[in-house]
Amino acid sequence: MPKRKLAAFLLLAIANVFAADRQWALKQSTLTYHVSHPLHSTDGVSHAARGKGVCHDGECEFLIAVPVKTFDSGDSNRDLHMIQVTRGAEFPMVTVRTRLPETAAASASVKADLEIQFAGQTAQYKQVPFQLATQGSETRISGTIPATLSDFKIDPPSLLTMPVKNDIPVRVEMTWDPQ
Amino acid sequence: MTLKPKISLGIGILSIFVLAVNPVWGQEGKTTAPAQAPASPPTKPSENLPDAPSSSKTAPSLSDLGFSPEETEANARQQALLDKRTHMLKIHQRMGLITTIPLVATVVTSMNAGGRNTSSASRDLHVALGSVTGDLYGITAYYAIRAPRMQGTETRGQIRLHKTLAWIHGPGMILTPILGAMAFNQKNNGEKVHGIASAHGPVAIVTAGAFGAALLSVSVKF
Repeated sequence: MPKRKLAAFLLLAIANVFAADRQWALKQSTLTYHVSHPLHSTDGVSHAARGKGVCHDGECEFLIAVPVKTFDSGDSNRDLHMIQVTRGAEFPMVTVRTRLPETAAASASVKADLEIQFAGQTAQYKQVPFQLATQGSETRISGTIPATLSDFKIDPPSLLTMPVKNDIPVRVEMTWDPQ
Repeated sequence: MTLKPKISLGIGILSIFVLAVNPVWGQEGKTTAPAQAPASPPTKPSENLPDAPSSSKTAPSLSDLGFSPEETEANARQQALLDKRTHMLKIHQRMGLITTIPLVATVVTSMNAGGRNTSSASRDLHVALGSVTGDLYGITAYYAIRAPRMQGTETRGQIRLHKTLAWIHGPGMILTPILGAMAFNQKNNGEKVHGIASAHGPVAIVTAGAFGAALLSVSVKF
């Protein structure tokens, strides 16, 4: 009887191991948007993103979110105007969702389909390339999302009657930890 | 009617026109109505994308990430305040650029307004342009001063220089016409400009320089 109980216990333990979902947590991030104007260019940086990934049956679903007001361009007046034009008080968060195969963590690069919610709009970006680098248990991901103002129906801000460019690429650098 | 009142009348009419086009002044003291509801909910993701995320039970949600309610909840009142602030500062920017034109003209005409061999017509023109500049400057300053402040925001970057320079060209735009009026009277009385009135020129130059620097501080990156 004790052997049967031991065998049953072992079987249950093994079953739990295989049934458990693997999770990822965003440890560190740098998100940088770039805006171009004929007179000068500007970068706004945020380190306040949070993210989580849940893997199940070989596929992982990721959610990354960052508050709009955390982007810092070095000029408080510009940042306030950015929040206003992106309706950041009404829609305070930028969220990014994507799905990747669990085996992607072992690759040097991956192409992801992204769904981004920003300024009250949802935009899809197909096959955005990201580079991966593993250091110990951490996985570093970097890439650039080719976002535009028109994707999110944002009126281009202007300075001296000249509007900024429609392209606002967002550079993404993230460090993920498996849980 | 002499030249100066005609010019002032023209500017008054122009100001009324500007305000009519941008009726913020008429709405001063009122807050714009907050949005009844946020914009329509985001559309569902396309199902044509093979790797597009779906709303599965395992997908993480925003509540899993640990953001506070203040960070995730919509604030329509603050958005309305931001909208009003941006609107007023846009008018401030536009009026500031318009003010530059008579300001430059005033400085240019100052060369014929002083000295020994100057006609009263040259001085009258300089006075009229100075009056126009003062009026437009006042309107420009109004929109900057009355634009809503966002609580909890620290002033950082080149905008600090822009705001600091206002402490130079602001008092200068008050002092310059006062000294100018004194100098004008002395010249009309056949006197040589003397005393504190002789500071009209230097004060005006410093004021114009500070104004130009203020304009550059929000136009170019340095």
